[in-house]
Order: sequence, then structure tokens, then C-alpha cells
Amino acid sequence: MYLDYQSAKPVDPEVIAAMTPYMAEKFGNASSLHEVGDWSTEALDSSRRTIAHFVNAREPEEIIFTSGATEANNLAIIGYALRNKQKGKHVIISEVEHISILNIAKYLRKNGFEVSTVPVDFTGTVRLDKLEERIRPDTILISIQHANNEIGTIQPVMSIGKIAREKKIVFHVDAVASEGQIPIDVQRDFIDMLTLSSNDIYGPRGVGALYVRKGFLLNPLIIGGGQERGLRSGTEDVAAIVGFAKAAELALQYMPEESKRLRQLRDKAIKTVFETVPRSYLNGHPTNRLPNNAHFRFDFIEGESILLSFKERGIAVSTGSACSSQTLEPSHTLMSLGLLHEEAHGSLEITMGRFTREADVDTFVEVLPGIVKRLRDMSPLTKTEVGM
Amino acid sequence: MPKSTQYTLKVLDHFKNPRNVGTLEGKGVAVGRVGNPVCGDLMDIYIKVDDDGKIEDIKFKTFGCGSAVATSSMITEIAKGKTLDEAMKITRQNVADELEGLPPIKMHCSNLAADALHEAIKNFREGKKGPVELGETRFACPAGEVKNVTGLAEFVGKGVFTGYEHPEQFRDKRVLVVEFDQNSVEFALELTKVTGRVILLSPLEQLAVNDELTTQVKRSDIKHLKQAELVEVSGGSEVEKVRIHDLDEDEEYDLVVDAVVVPS
Repeated sequence: MYLDYQSAKPVDPEVIAAMTPYMAEKFGNASSLHEVGDWSTEALDSSRRTIAHFVNAREPEEIIFTSGATEANNLAIIGYALRNKQKGKHVIISEVEHISILNIAKYLRKNGFEVSTVPVDFTGTVRLDKLEERIRPDTILISIQHANNEIGTIQPVMSIGKIAREKKIVFHVDAVASEGQIPIDVQRDFIDMLTLSSNDIYGPRGVGALYVRKGFLLNPLIIGGGQERGLRSGTEDVAAIVGFAKAAELALQYMPEESKRLRQLRDKAIKTVFETVPRSYLNGHPTNRLPNNAHFRFDFIEGESILLSFKERGIAVSTGSACSSQTLEPSHTLMSLGLLHEEAHGSLEITMGRFTREADVDTFVEVLPGIVKRLRDMSPLTKTEVGM
Repeated sequence: MPKSTQYTLKVLDHFKNPRNVGTLEGKGVAVGRVGNPVCGDLMDIYIKVDDDGKIEDIKFKTFGCGSAVATSSMITEIAKGKTLDEAMKITRQNVADELEGLPPIKMHCSNLAADALHEAIKNFREGKKGPVELGETRFACPAGEVKNVTGLAEFVGKGVFTGYEHPEQFRDKRVLVVEFDQNSVEFALELTKVTGRVILLSPLEQLAVNDELTTQVKRSDIKHLKQAELVEVSGGSEVEKVRIHDLDEDEEYDLVVDAVVVPS
């Protein structure tokens, strides 16, 4: 039983079917002028139109295919900063960005840029007042996620976009956590650059895209044969791109029904956990959160042992506990909420998806109280409290 | 060990009939002062040291609760006739043991007594024999210790609040309340009605309030940080972060908050 859709998603069978012809039969190089090449060129153009439609871009040429979201984030932030450093050397991100953005920020700092971080409130929502405080005359770029990848809080991107547009600052949005779950509209939300990943909408891994509003200039990070308007060289992986486009098409088609279904499952899970597990809390926003995300914390116990207990029962979940991370640091997102180390350690995240059924959620909430109780019974922290 | 707030008969005896109350003057006399009246405890211990380096006479003056008086009284009995080196080795535990135990929330009192005696010996050795200067008072509040918090004054009105008023202004904020007295604990409980995030910081292992209030805190959503003190407040135009010293682990860590409530 799989409740960790945030970390990886299976590829939808319809996507695999759409990709297959482009591996053996229609194998051409999109740069070739012969007929075999034309099949790939046509597939590439059509895929670009589909992705442009997916985010409501004005023109297909505003979509640059990349090897995934990490590369798209790099191209957006480093590519823009390097190209526009004469305008200013100050960039703003939030404290709860994905690790790829945080490490890009580190890289920029080492290379002569200044990066300010905007704090969030207890629900994980970016503080607009603090954002405005951090804007300076030399601020050239603001990069804020559409929704948080850990706790699922949806950010006020339209309000941020408005602020950025008024101050003539470029606004980049990492939409990896939210794509396919809530609508994305780069025109409505004043977004200048937007990162997408294929796997996060049930497409193949190894492909993603960056939307770049027409008229903005970036430095390429990968130099070569000049593909993708010179911004991302390298022969296009047409099969993967076709799969990505099919995934986007399906996501748009399923989104209204699927979001509603997952939201109901999510709210059922949250309600039942609160009823059955004393001293349980929800991390993130109570309502303004991704439809598929429920992120809990439980006093007195540690997340990795919760995760392992679920594993014994064949259930895959996730945690923000330090013991399960590579750095042995608790999740920076949970710390930014104002949680204590021991609270961040006690976190448990479930993320549902297209193939999650109500019976899965029922099993999860049935198993959880026993796991929490067993761990609490052996925890020295529990004894000092009343009512446990 | 006595239960909760119960005093042993020995404590009550020393409280009702304190030994060696008074002050000393003249040759070989030094005094140690600890505590702060603001916190409800102030203790002076006077020693008179003879030519052999022994405590020939010892007196105390204490402002404080029953156990503060009893521990002062007891330590004068223990220290009398001892050499300065021997007296330096008297610990809070010795005092508590001689009194046949102290309620846990009163253990800091025996600490105060030992500190005051050690302070007096230190002053004698350094030749400081004059009257006690209030400026030299060591700030040692039993609850709500707010000594030398970096940045605290700077953020008053910008996220640092020094009164227990207008809970509404804390709506949906992450609030750190420094335990000081019963009012501070009651205010923390009040705040849980307007925000989901209230952290109560106590220097001791448990709250220095009655059992009923302690139970209320445990049943509430208050996050109670025990054996911890506030060391720094930081932020931009407003408070964004505090630095907390975990006294038990002797470690410091940061915590994101929007407001800090401390006694004025």
C-alpha cells in the first residue's frame, strides 16, 4: 500500500502507450529535415502546445523542455541571475522552498549574489508583509513555490505575482508539488517563469519544463547544438516529452474530479486521526492545502520509528524526522513553522494519488493508533504527561 | 521526599524558629547576596572569619518564602565552625537533605542559600568587606528568569510584550510566554483561545504554580518547555526568532516565533 505520492508517482499506463511509438518506430532526431525527423518535430511541437496550454502560457515557444524540475529551477534562477546581474544582485526566496532552490541560493551567494529568505507563518504560508520588507531596489528575482512539497500549504502566488509585477521584479514559481492537483495559470498569477516536472503528473522521469515569459532573457546552462531556442542544448528525448505531454493532458482532464475525491479522502483521514489519536496535530494549513496531503505530528514519538512500523505492515509513508534524512537535520520546512526539534521528529506525512482508494485510507487510520500507542508506551517523554 | 508542595516538619521548624537571623559587622566580616526582590527572593549571608580561616559566626537576612527562610537558617547551622574550604563544598543537596527534603518546585531555594554562602566566602577572599551594593545583586529568579536576554529591549513593542493584556492581539500568532508567576501561566492558557501555538518556557522541571493550574496546562495545547531559558530575541522589523538555552542538556537552539511575552 503506497501513501507517498509526493516522493514518486507511477507512470500512467496511457502515458506509456503514448510514448512507446517514439522509442522504436518514430525514433528520428527532431533536428533532421527528412521524414523520419519530421515525425519527431511534429510530436515535439504538439507536446509543446499541450504543456503551454497546461499552464495557460500565451505561446508554445515559452516552454523549454529540460531533464526535470531540478534543471528547470537551475535554468530559471541561475540563468536569469547571471544574465541580468547588471540590473542587480539580489534574489528573494522563501524559507520553505524545495532543497533544490535552497542549494541554488547557496550557489548564488558564493558567486557574488545576495539572497534573502522570507519567513512563513505557523500554517506555512509565506508572509507577504515580510516579502515586501525584503524587496530592495536591486532585487531582480523572486522565487516562491506554488505549494509546499512537504506540508502541502498552498502559497498566495497571485498576490506575490502582483507585488513582483508592480516592482518590476521577475517572479519564478516552482509548481512541482501542485501541478495536476490545483490549476496553474501563469497569466492570471503574474508568473514570469514556472518549473514543471513530468513524473509529478504521472509522466516519465527525466523530463520537465521551464515556462519563460516571452521577452525574458536567460543564460543557458547547457551549451551545445542550440536546441530549445538555444536555452537547453542536447537532442530532445521525444518519447519522454510525448509522455510528459500526455500526462499533462490527462491531468487537466482528471483534475476537477480527482481533486475533489482526494480532498474528501484527506479530510476523512485528518478527522479520524484527530478522533482516535490523542495529542495529534496537523502541520500546514488546515484548509488551504494540497488535496492529496495530510501531514501529522504526534507528541512524544519519533517519525522514523512510525515509518518503520508502517513498513512492517506493508504501508509506505513519509516523515520529516531528522533520523530519516541524509543530513540528520530535521526538515527545514517544519523548523520554519516554529516547531521544536522534538515536534519535527514526530511527524508523519501521507500523500495520496490517482491510484489511492478509500480502503487504503481506512487501513491507514485503523493501523495508526496502535502504532502510536506502542511507541508512546516505550517513550520516556510520555510518562511525565497527564492523560496519556 | 515530600509530596508536591508539602513541607517537612524540619522545614517548618526552621521557618518558625530560624537560627542565626541578623547581620554582622567589624573585622573579618563579609557578606554574600543573591536573588532579586522582583523575583520574590533575596538572601544575604554574613560570615565572620577568625584567624584560623574558620567561620566563627554566621548570620542571615532573607526575603522570601518559607523554604527560602528555612534553607538560609539551615545553611548557617551547617557552615558554622567549618573552614572556608569546607564551606565552599556545601551544596544545595546538602541543605535539602538536612531539611529532610524540599518540595521539587522549591529546590531552587536551597540553591540560593548555597550560592549566597559561596558568594560571601568569595567576597571575603577578595577583600570585599563593605556593605552590600544593590548593583551587585545577582538576578536569580526562580521562575521566569529573564536575565540579560540579547535583543529583548530592542523588540519591546515589536513583538515583545511586557504585560498580560489584550489576548486578541496575539490571534494566530506563535507566542512564547516566559513563566514568571501565576499570571503568566494563566495568560498562556488564555492565549490558547486565540492561537494554536503557545509555548510556555519554564526554568524548572515543572511549573511553579498550584497543581490545578499545572493540570490545566498539561491538558491544553500549550507546548511546555521545561528547564529552559530565553537567551536571545532576534528578527527584522519585528521578532522572528528566539534562541533558547536548554538547561538540562546545556544546549542552545533557535525557535521561530512571532511574539514573546515577558514580565516587565
